[in-house]
Amino acid sequence: MSSNDTIFYNNPQIRSVIYQIALVLALGYFFYIIVSNTLANMESRGIKSGFDFLSSTAGFDILMSLIPYDATDTYGRTFVVGLLNTILVSVIGIVLSTIVGFIIGVAHFSHNWLIRKLATIYVEIFRNIPLLLQIFFWYFAVLSTLPGARQSLSLGEAVFLNVRGLYLPDIVADSGAAFVQAAIIIGIIGTFFVKRWAKKRQDETGQQFPVLYAGLGLIFGLPIIVLIATGIPFHFEYPVLRGFNYSGGITVIPELMALALSLTIYTGAFIGEAVRAGVQSVPHGQTEAARSIGMKEKQIMKLIIVPQAMRVITPILNSEYQSLVKNSTLATAIGYPDLFTVFVGTTLNQTGQAIEIVTMTMAVYFLFNMLISFVMNLFDKKVAMVSR
Amino acid sequence: MIRCINRLEEFQQGSLIVDGIEMIEDVKNIEAIRRDVGMVFQHFNLFPHLTILENLCLGPIWVQKKPKAEARDIAMKYLERVKIPEQANKYPGQLSGGQQQRVAIARSLCMNPNIMLFDEPTSALDPEMIKEVLDVMIELAEEGMTMLCVTHEMGFAKKVADRVIFMDGGEIVEQNTPHEFFENPQVDRTKTFLDQILNH
Amino acid sequence: MKTFEPAPSRPAPKMTAGIIAWVKNNLFSSIPNTITTIFILVLLANVLPGIFDWLFYSANWSGETQDDCVKDGACWVFISAWSQQFFYGSYPTEEIWRVNLCLILLIITLLGSFFVKKGLREKVFVPLFLALPFISILILDGSWIGLEQVTTDYWGGFSLNIFLAAASIIVAFPLGFIWALGRRSSMPMARSISIILIEFFRGVPVLALFFMGSVMLPLFFPEGTNVDKLLRVWIVLTLFMAGYMAEVYRGGFNAIPAGQYEAADSLGLGYWQKTLLIILPQVIKISMPNILATFIMLFKNTSFLMIIGIFEILSTTQAALSNSYWLGGHAQEGYLFVAGLFWTVCFSMSVIAASIERKLNTEHRKELLSAALPVPASQP
Repeated sequence: MSSNDTIFYNNPQIRSVIYQIALVLALGYFFYIIVSNTLANMESRGIKSGFDFLSSTAGFDILMSLIPYDATDTYGRTFVVGLLNTILVSVIGIVLSTIVGFIIGVAHFSHNWLIRKLATIYVEIFRNIPLLLQIFFWYFAVLSTLPGARQSLSLGEAVFLNVRGLYLPDIVADSGAAFVQAAIIIGIIGTFFVKRWAKKRQDETGQQFPVLYAGLGLIFGLPIIVLIATGIPFHFEYPVLRGFNYSGGITVIPELMALALSLTIYTGAFIGEAVRAGVQSVPHGQTEAARSIGMKEKQIMKLIIVPQAMRVITPILNSEYQSLVKNSTLATAIGYPDLFTVFVGTTLNQTGQAIEIVTMTMAVYFLFNMLISFVMNLFDKKVAMVSR
Repeated sequence: MIRCINRLEEFQQGSLIVDGIEMIEDVKNIEAIRRDVGMVFQHFNLFPHLTILENLCLGPIWVQKKPKAEARDIAMKYLERVKIPEQANKYPGQLSGGQQQRVAIARSLCMNPNIMLFDEPTSALDPEMIKEVLDVMIELAEEGMTMLCVTHEMGFAKKVADRVIFMDGGEIVEQNTPHEFFENPQVDRTKTFLDQILNH
Repeated sequence: MKTFEPAPSRPAPKMTAGIIAWVKNNLFSSIPNTITTIFILVLLANVLPGIFDWLFYSANWSGETQDDCVKDGACWVFISAWSQQFFYGSYPTEEIWRVNLCLILLIITLLGSFFVKKGLREKVFVPLFLALPFISILILDGSWIGLEQVTTDYWGGFSLNIFLAAASIIVAFPLGFIWALGRRSSMPMARSISIILIEFFRGVPVLALFFMGSVMLPLFFPEGTNVDKLLRVWIVLTLFMAGYMAEVYRGGFNAIPAGQYEAADSLGLGYWQKTLLIILPQVIKISMPNILATFIMLFKNTSFLMIIGIFEILSTTQAALSNSYWLGGHAQEGYLFVAGLFWTVCFSMSVIAASIERKLNTEHRKELLSAALPVPASQP
């Protein structure tokens, strides 16, 4: 193509380059202003910069920690404590909300009208009320009305519920417990091998093997046998009332309960909708065709409906899990010491180093979300069918 | 190939001259060519959120910068040309396929092009509506409009065309006058094609 | 040729039609089903009367102070005594008409945009819609138009939730559209920048954005300037919404048939003419259910603002609960009331969104949309 007589700025490629250069220049100027203002402001307020603060002493207590921590530890350690707490509540939330969501989603297809209606009511109520409000409701309006330590609600001598928290017995491993733990691992690995062997056998001979029952037997049965054979090398450590409170055992603070509960209920409502949408997206003709071949209902579920439904459900699960992790930051409102509360809350308050702290925290949340995306994409490839 | 002419597709080699203007890598040049060339699509592509009249006036008002009243006159004139002036204030969704395609033809005509491109204009229509669209195209041809038409309507091609180009696999296989093309195909591939379609 | 004479029709079998059949199939069709039905009914019978009693029958509806709550049920007096704060925050009582004026303007603009004919809509209501946040600020603050000034510290309550949400989405509409255009652009720089912006504002927890707005944003401004807190919050909310709107628009762009772009090109329309005249109206129409869903999410998120000290309705509730005249555990009444307010607004909007979606589905049944619309956005 001859471009001798083109005016250069009418050439679409050159135009595009000019626009982009202008864009980059404008952005560069914008950043320059922001950075210079920030540096000036930080200097005039006496805020240091750099990451040295991570090795200074924190000087504050944290309500709950999965690793040993006290006020003489460093800010860096507070970061780790908060991080673990966030992971804890996120994992609990993800697992429980998935269970709740799938139950609600399946309930939409029940033969019982009452159950269908209740499922719809559940979804419509909890989807339309702000999560923070639900957290407050559980924390202030329910959990704080529980009785004091001495009048705890209890389940036998093992489980206690009062206004300070939920107390559960802890399982402590004695010597010899290693065998049982090994048995569990062997059971899980063994199930994989059984599954592969059974599939191969089905391909070759057409005979089907009850993999599910075999797997359950391996994962549960084998360890139980070992458990009994070694004389049950575990014991419970019960929570015991000492003075005004319980000690020993596992303590679940009310903040964690309120947060986990509301995250589960709220996210569960959205997952329930996703499951319903997924199952409804499979055309009824699919089920009819499968029945006409003579497939059993369970097989139809497993081979036809679930893979196609998951195509719709999985992306939504992905975004719901990421939302759950992001929403866990609301812990700040009730004082659950998650990463945000501990690091961006207290530590930032004390050191004033907003840029470093906020950047570190946001990097963590971004990483979480990428991790969730990654895992869900793997899952997607495995379970959902590849579309036409 | 037809989409290269108004640069909906780009070409890599060679040169393209449209109505005396050579197509070059220049925004103004492309816009000038597009103003001169009208196109009718297989799926009509009328703008669903505008009335028929607004669809027709869009080009004259925004591209040719004509005043609104003049644009309306032009639009109604061509709407009468395609024989559906009473549909002016309806929306495309309310018209049948054949009517929509005729509106699409009128929309291109409102720009007063020297060349009209037709990309399989009747392929998406019910059999009953094909005739009304072909009639409009035949009228256009008889009035002397230069038309480039991609079609599967053999009868139409035979009756109206000055030149027939047969393409296969992205290459031109044979070019000829309609009479010669249908009666004396030169290339084997053409012969196979004609065998298939004429002996239905 | 015999004519066909149909035999007289017989009545339908009793147990397959009518209400008895419905009850049998839906509630008692099998033994597990029957047990479940009975179980649920018993449960409801035990729980519901108590709840209704507490909510309505034994509740206290009239009075001024806590002492008027004599009966055992809910103390709704708490709500009515605080109702002005719940809705208007600390806005001076004599000036509340200004808040109401802004709310009425908002409603008129919304209704007008939807129901008025096309010509009037573009000329009057769309510009009004876009200018509404600024007009409201003028009216609410008052100092620039000669009314008594009410600084933003006094704005609060549910009306603040509504204003912040509306003001954010109004500015996010065009901003998100531009980001979405940038994402589709063939210029790699524009595309990368847009993607970074969009993914950042969607991936960061809302609360983190609020904190950044409170703590980091002041650092970005030149020495000494004091940017109003509510303004910072508005900026942050708008950017957050724009990220989500951009994704909604992306789905809309994909759902428009490619032929529309080609038809516009073939007519000779330039890039901006094509985008504004042809594509924009179609994108907005097709994305409307998703836009509404995103707005519902934003509206719920405005309640999070209490954490950074904005006196919207949730923080007003907390303040009311800890007021020394009203101590005594009215948390249930307070939260239920606020929950009820939010639920009413959000549920109504979701019903509207569902009906728009149904209407769109029937309209577009003829055109095959090859790209599926993303399922409505649910949460941040």
